[in-house]
Amino acid sequence: MDWISALGNTAVWRAMALFVLIALSTYADAQSETDETWGDDAWGEDPWATEDSAWQWYGFIEGAIAPRLQNDRNIGEEQTLSETRLQIEGQRQLGGYSATLKADAWLDAVDDHSRADLREANLAGRLTPQTDIQFGRQMITWGTGDLVFLNDLFPKDYVAFFSGRGDEYLKAPINAVKLSWFSNLNIDAVWMPQATPNRFVTGERLSYFSPQAGQRIAAPPVLDPSDRDTLGDDSELALRLYQTINGIELAGYAFRGFDKQPSAIDPETNEAYFPRLSTLGASVRGPLMGGIANLETAYYDAEDSSGTDPNRPNDQWRLLGGYEHEPLKNLTLGWQYSLEWTQDHSALLRNLPDNQRQYAPEAYRHVFTNRVTWQVLRQDLTLSLFTFYSPTDADYYLRPRASYRLSDRLTATAGGNIFGGDNEWTFYSQLEKNSNAYLRLRYSF
Amino acid sequence: MNGIRRLTQTMITAAAFAITSAVAQPLTDVDAIITQANIASYYAGDDGRSAARMMIVDGSGNQQRRQFTLLRKDVTNGGDQRYLVVFSRPADIRGTVFRVEKHVGANDDRWLYLPALDLVKRIASGDKRTSFVGSHFYYEDISGRGIEEDAHQLVETTATHYIVESTPKRPDEVEFSRYRTQIDRNTLLPMQTEYERESGEIFRRMEVTAVETINGYPTGTEVKMTDLDTGGYTLTQFRFSEYDIGLPDSVFSERSLRSPPREWLRRN
Repeated sequence: MDWISALGNTAVWRAMALFVLIALSTYADAQSETDETWGDDAWGEDPWATEDSAWQWYGFIEGAIAPRLQNDRNIGEEQTLSETRLQIEGQRQLGGYSATLKADAWLDAVDDHSRADLREANLAGRLTPQTDIQFGRQMITWGTGDLVFLNDLFPKDYVAFFSGRGDEYLKAPINAVKLSWFSNLNIDAVWMPQATPNRFVTGERLSYFSPQAGQRIAAPPVLDPSDRDTLGDDSELALRLYQTINGIELAGYAFRGFDKQPSAIDPETNEAYFPRLSTLGASVRGPLMGGIANLETAYYDAEDSSGTDPNRPNDQWRLLGGYEHEPLKNLTLGWQYSLEWTQDHSALLRNLPDNQRQYAPEAYRHVFTNRVTWQVLRQDLTLSLFTFYSPTDADYYLRPRASYRLSDRLTATAGGNIFGGDNEWTFYSQLEKNSNAYLRLRYSF
Repeated sequence: MNGIRRLTQTMITAAAFAITSAVAQPLTDVDAIITQANIASYYAGDDGRSAARMMIVDGSGNQQRRQFTLLRKDVTNGGDQRYLVVFSRPADIRGTVFRVEKHVGANDDRWLYLPALDLVKRIASGDKRTSFVGSHFYYEDISGRGIEEDAHQLVETTATHYIVESTPKRPDEVEFSRYRTQIDRNTLLPMQTEYERESGEIFRRMEVTAVETINGYPTGTEVKMTDLDTGGYTLTQFRFSEYDIGLPDSVFSERSLRSPPREWLRRN
């Protein structure tokens, strides 16, 4: 047994021990908690209950383990995830403003390090009766898609998402100033002094396909694009204009900044970088035949508007249509179709070297998604399956999940991330060797 | 001053109720009874705020808690309403905000805000007879079942209550065959509702176990919903309730989902 798999096994045991610990502490805690929280004195929990300006603290401790479902010859680790995580969140009032701090610290047995991540550190409040400001490190989400993002160009953490962490870790934090103006037309303006890219697959935890190498690869070397961290020059601006009219939500979006993925290559240095990207888009969402329908579109104005430079991404039209409904009691179905239409596609193909042509994106990439959610036991148990399927790429990504609330404090979640497809270079198929099944146990306080 | 004014108001209202109940003949028109009971339960004042908490006990005795603050504004009395529900516990639900535009005779509009993702999710209005946040109460029990959904019959008038039996007009859409409600003759509050199967077996019971008069409006401040099949129940208590606080329409908006309106949520 080499040292890598020995470490893997240690991690498994460490995670299992944590699970037992959490379960025992909850059991011991269960009886004592119930009585003291129902007395007349226990009403003070609402953060707005009083003028109190003390910090209020919350958090959770979570054990998570995600064994790989197949061996990846590129990566020695047997898990995509093996960690013990603590999240602490604090809130307090400072005059008319509320301050929020949220930080994670975890022992990561996959990369054998202790890690920390500041997820929120911001002040939010009212500048004028019609204007809100949120200043600092924060999470921002907009748009109408379900796990499909067109006009939301805030960074995503795909490593967390694919490796088995909770859904809330799909969004990565940004340092930003968000100004919101509320009137007949509502406006959100977000300024980010430095570009924040996605937490993309670098080859460290998950392997990916490299067109240059012509195969799936992993670290070393770590995919390490040149940074976009010059204050000012590398700033980004995102805008949303929106209003709801008779239950129909209308929105327009604009973004000026950089691609969140390192999608371009500098031919001089052969180094990946985040190319300039501007987008313009719109969405509509409203009730339709007992369900909720949404339509969204965006134009991606990329660096290579003529399509002649194969090292840089072309412009794209993106389109999304979705429908969610509840055909049976406690059973929800969501359907989405999305299109990525690459502009000047023939110019792209013409200018690619012969051996790279097969890896080029399709002119029209179609993706269908489906979400099935079934809630049982008065919502204590949620069973769900999210499916991504692309007929043009001939690949898929399945996210089955069962989540059970054992108590108000303890939730167990089991699920999987399963990738597959015909060709190893397509979007989901490249991740096939990273397919995993996970188990998470979270104790909230 | 405020306290004295409220006390005076309460005394006047109490006196008024005493007089009307002593003098007034019992109502005989079931539509009038049902309409007034609906208004008494769900439309007190033009708007209101209340803190609420739930103790959810399943058939095996396992307990869960929910705590939230509820803001409501009537668009029309007995008609459409706006709701904002802001959760403060348990920890995994804290910060979740639920917004409803209730439309009588049409599907409601519902939004859910999930703070961890900063996500405003629109929810299909779906079946209103599904659990409200894991409790034994249904969405419909919280915001009211449309009175036009059932055929109502006054079966008895006792010294203290009207007994009304209601039969669904579209029985295949609900899990009960009929329900029987005891409505207090003085306050017109439904004090108990029992849901029956076709056989007449009662399988679900709502009981109002405490009533207080708040800003002149008799209010059920403790309500118990029991699932007689499993023995599980949910006890809901309302505190710090206030009516006619002057909630502006703008409180019921996406802005309030992302940043809950503290000045309106705060207890006085």
